Amino acid sequence: MGLFEKFRATAVTYEALKESAGRDPFGVSMDEMKGPTRAMVEGKEIVLAGTNNYLGLTYDKDAVDAAKDAVVASGTGTTGSRFANGTYAGHRNLEHELAEFLGYKHCMVFSTGYQANLGAISALVQPPEDVILIDADCHACIYDGCQLSGAETIRFRHNDPESLDKRLSRLRPDIKGKLVCFEGMYSMFGDVAPVKELVEVAHKHGAYALLDEAHSFGVFGDNGRGVCERDGVLDAVDFYTGTFSKSLASIGGFVASNHPELEYLRFSSRPYMFTASPSPANVAAASAALARLKGDQSMRKQLWENAHRVYSAFQQLGFDLCAPESPVIAVKLDNREQAFLAWNFLMENGVYVNLAIPPGTPNATSILRLSVSAAHTADDLDIVVGAYTALSEQLNAAAT
Amino acid sequence: MSGIRQDDDLVFRKICSLIEPLNEKGVELSRETDLIADLEIDSVAVLDMVMDIEDFYDISIPVNTISETKTIGELVDAIHEIKKEQA
Ligand SMILES: Cc1ncc(COP(=O)(O)O)c(C=O)c1O
Repeated sequence: MGLFEKFRATAVTYEALKESAGRDPFGVSMDEMKGPTRAMVEGKEIVLAGTNNYLGLTYDKDAVDAAKDAVVASGTGTTGSRFANGTYAGHRNLEHELAEFLGYKHCMVFSTGYQANLGAISALVQPPEDVILIDADCHACIYDGCQLSGAETIRFRHNDPESLDKRLSRLRPDIKGKLVCFEGMYSMFGDVAPVKELVEVAHKHGAYALLDEAHSFGVFGDNGRGVCERDGVLDAVDFYTGTFSKSLASIGGFVASNHPELEYLRFSSRPYMFTASPSPANVAAASAALARLKGDQSMRKQLWENAHRVYSAFQQLGFDLCAPESPVIAVKLDNREQAFLAWNFLMENGVYVNLAIPPGTPNATSILRLSVSAAHTADDLDIVVGAYTALSEQLNAAAT
Repeated sequence: MSGIRQDDDLVFRKICSLIEPLNEKGVELSRETDLIADLEIDSVAVLDMVMDIEDFYDISIPVNTISETKTIGELVDAIHEIKKEQA
């Protein structure tokens, strides 16, 4: 019994909400995929508007062919870690391709983006002489990386360079290494960091800047290199982390840097050394997706056009939107119960989005997170906007 | 309605004033009050409340310290400690 008591309060709330909504938002099963933006759920075709498939490349012909060929040539799995028997030519090549694309000298491929952040932070920072400063809204993997390092971790206010400045100024003089962690675009609200200012503040205090562009890689910048490209500070970032699981439509992650010492992580980063490397198919797909991303700017253009269409429709409907226009469009609701019901209403109307409720959401808000893809067709977006229009009518009716 | 146990400690009073708006169940606040178990405050909300304390006293309170404190009293003691160190 002892182990399970701590879950009870949350489990009771969760069960009650599930029952009132009539469906489990955290257990939706895509029974059959129908392409990058459609799936069969409970026998009905649903538009997927809660993915991270920003460029819509999950069914790209080049990526699919590359993955198939890689399985035939190199097998289904590597059965080992990068450190042992798990480094194939494909991993090395992808590291070179990513470094070249981003303009960094070094790159390391990890099995997931989660592990890339976990591995970089936990290896770079060591207690008691080093300290980490993180944006308050950083992703769980950045928090977990801090915890795994065991180093002192201080939060600064979300997207607030002045708050970072204050906290760096207060540090004890005997602190040796300082690592500042933040993201390009934040996944839940779709808000974008003042990357240039944060990097400048970090460097002013002799700290290193680690920027996670998980959601902004492929999405921001003239070449899709992220928010730091858009803000002109790509070469100032000390550690650039990313994932293959969003714009690159695969699974895996990476850390890129101009510091040659990045290579030391290959024998000191536990999340790199003690887990199997990404499979040949994952690596080949990511590599092919990267080539597509480099060669074709029209996908990013389409993505932003789609985002614009949905965002302006939602503005007209009067929804409370969490951030300025971006491919992640989060609608704020009054409370958990309302958010659950709204989420289920959208499902009934053929649209899947992400429900995010406290604990763990910024400012304890309850939101519906929608993400736009370049692969969304006009038809898909009609269905999305139609469902939200109906939702808005229902919410207004309930309010009066 | 909720109350705040009589206490002369200014840090205790400051914390209570920041917690009051989050104290939806109207629990009486004392040094023994457990922030998460008794008040059912979201762990992120606790971190955000601590950020207000940091800015008020111009100190930094590491996440590590917050995860080691459960009660208001433990948080008060930790803040006194840090205020001395960072003075
Ligand atoms: C900001 C951020 N970093 C890292 C990750 C982890 O990426 P991956 O899915 O590759 O583990 C995510 C995605 O969940 C994320 O949102």
